[in-house]
Amino acid sequence: MRSFNKLLTRTMAILLITLLTACSSVPELENNTEAPRVKLPTGYAEKAIINEYYDPWEGFNRRMYYFNAKADEYVLLPVVAGYKAVTPDILETGINNFFSNLGEISVFINALLQAKPAVAAETFGRFAVNTTVGVFGFFDVATPIGLDEQNEDFGQTLGVWGIEAGPYLVLPLLGPSSLRDATGAAIDMLAFQAVINELGMAGEEELFLSMLSSIDTRANLPFRYYSSGSAFEYERLKILYMKYREIQIAR
Amino acid sequence: MRLISIFIMLFLTACSTKNQPEFKVEAYTCDIEYTRYQATVTGYCQEAAAILPKSIPTIEKEIELRAIASIPEVFWYSTKMKYSLIKQEDKAPLAFVIAGTGASYQSSKMISLQKTLFQQGYHVISLSSPTYSNFIINLDSTTDFPGVLAQDAKNLYGIMQKVYQQVILEDNVAATTISLTGYSLGGAHAAYISKLDESEKVFNFEKVVLINPPVSLYNSVTILDSYLDLKEGGRDAASAMLDDIFSAFAQSYASQKSSAFSPGSIYALFKDAKLTDEELELLIGASFRMSSSDMLFALDVSYNLGGFIYKNHEISKFESVTNSMHRSHIVTFGQYFEKVVVPWQQENNPNLTREALIEQLGLKNIENYLRNADKISLVTNADDIILAEGEVEYLADVFGARAKIFPRGGHCGNMDRISFVEYMNNQFQGAK
Repeated sequence: MRSFNKLLTRTMAILLITLLTACSSVPELENNTEAPRVKLPTGYAEKAIINEYYDPWEGFNRRMYYFNAKADEYVLLPVVAGYKAVTPDILETGINNFFSNLGEISVFINALLQAKPAVAAETFGRFAVNTTVGVFGFFDVATPIGLDEQNEDFGQTLGVWGIEAGPYLVLPLLGPSSLRDATGAAIDMLAFQAVINELGMAGEEELFLSMLSSIDTRANLPFRYYSSGSAFEYERLKILYMKYREIQIAR
Repeated sequence: MRLISIFIMLFLTACSTKNQPEFKVEAYTCDIEYTRYQATVTGYCQEAAAILPKSIPTIEKEIELRAIASIPEVFWYSTKMKYSLIKQEDKAPLAFVIAGTGASYQSSKMISLQKTLFQQGYHVISLSSPTYSNFIINLDSTTDFPGVLAQDAKNLYGIMQKVYQQVILEDNVAATTISLTGYSLGGAHAAYISKLDESEKVFNFEKVVLINPPVSLYNSVTILDSYLDLKEGGRDAASAMLDDIFSAFAQSYASQKSSAFSPGSIYALFKDAKLTDEELELLIGASFRMSSSDMLFALDVSYNLGGFIYKNHEISKFESVTNSMHRSHIVTFGQYFEKVVVPWQQENNPNLTREALIEQLGLKNIENYLRNADKISLVTNADDIILAEGEVEYLADVFGARAKIFPRGGHCGNMDRISFVEYMNNQFQGAK
């Protein structure tokens, strides 16, 4: 299992690097084309809000965006629909609470790393209450008693430390990210894995848990690729993602 | 508004959307200071929300109107026209609903109309606006431009017939009577479709309700264009203002206790951000411009106009369209009218003047019909931002007792509020 993972990671890394640099999003023009009639004022593109965000891997990103949409259509969403059909609502909520509760550990660590003791304390309180009274996190009893949910991750921590977002990056299956946030997500995942290892589960149980976690995550995202109908969905989502991260980091 | 729904979508998607059983939908109102711009952006949240079904059994439908092979590759996800059906179990009255400018059959305003009508016992068929990309791309036409109301109505009427046949065939829909409604531009479309139906007599509408329609498209579009046109400083001033709005939101979010988003916390964000009317206008103008650039790009691709994209060039599905988007962003609706609509209409009808065309694009053109059509009702707000001076009075005059004018709500800001839904329930009583 472990050596397979290593091989997979390595192959993915090589594939990613190749793809990032190899694909182009620049059009190949036919012979009889005519330039667009609407001309932009000089310097417009530099000033446009969207160009604040560096996207040198656009060719790769657009392909990955498309791949994600197809993976959603043919794999993830059908699985989610099946999951929703067979799982009673109350269990679905419980499972969602369970994974959120596990996620509190990473929120807690990141709050500490960002020197936010109040957030860390609140998160610790949530984790303690939900794990005990809330039966391993299946019930969220912390929110009603005024311990609010917080949201921190290592990408935000890096941001707070002053690291810029870097190029926009669309990750396989996970979607919009940036070089900084993807790095952060990888580190959060390693930390999460360490927690799972502590639970001392067998390989298949671990696999089941991570699959369930992925299904739960997708089931709780109302986003649907291309559902805005806009030809500029890629651009708009990029701005929203980057702006949203700025808001989160400023918090 | 689109921008707001995207904001909300982002908030909902980007953070964990935990179910909150203790959260009561009907309980919250906001205590943001009321202005008609605020109501247009956040909704008329000072009034309580109506109690509507939480979920409705929506069936996603699609219909092939144009050969799939002829759909441009950049719109690969948009082959077939999409619409939705919400079906009652038994025989019931049916209502068609038409979306507003740039909106799809599943926009948030459409969903609140669907819930209202479904709750009243209607089958509901929802259609996107003729200004929505998926509609434009699938329209089997080489000459029609969205916004020319009589043409839009003719196209919609044809599609409604095909769609109606499809739901009878595929979903066994049995309708007792047929009604029609639409909001914003969709309201103007409903008026024209109703008139067309008087001669074609396919549906013989029982009831037609126009919700916040424009009186003159030209006036409405001029108003909305002007919101983004900050005369002093132009673009730089607009981006600076957008940056300010953004940092106001960021600050407000930073001061909130919880990082989770609920409708209540979104109102709180707006409250703390204390946006000025000018800033709200900018948001409305920007949202409208986003709709119009989607529409113009779809038209450009569909008709090979060479406006923002290379003429005679087939855009592949992985190709960057960012530069085309920039170009489409600098074009106002007014320019679309002057540079595209007027010349194309004149090509088919050389005697048509620009002024006569402006007259044709609005309700005044069918005023006689509207004055005498008892089946048609009108509902709007006295402070609707898309109405120019004197147009509220004009609507009150033309529709007389069939007009309901709420004092507040801005443009379509009250469509899910108690008194509006109550009005709709009185209009649509088909099942009772």
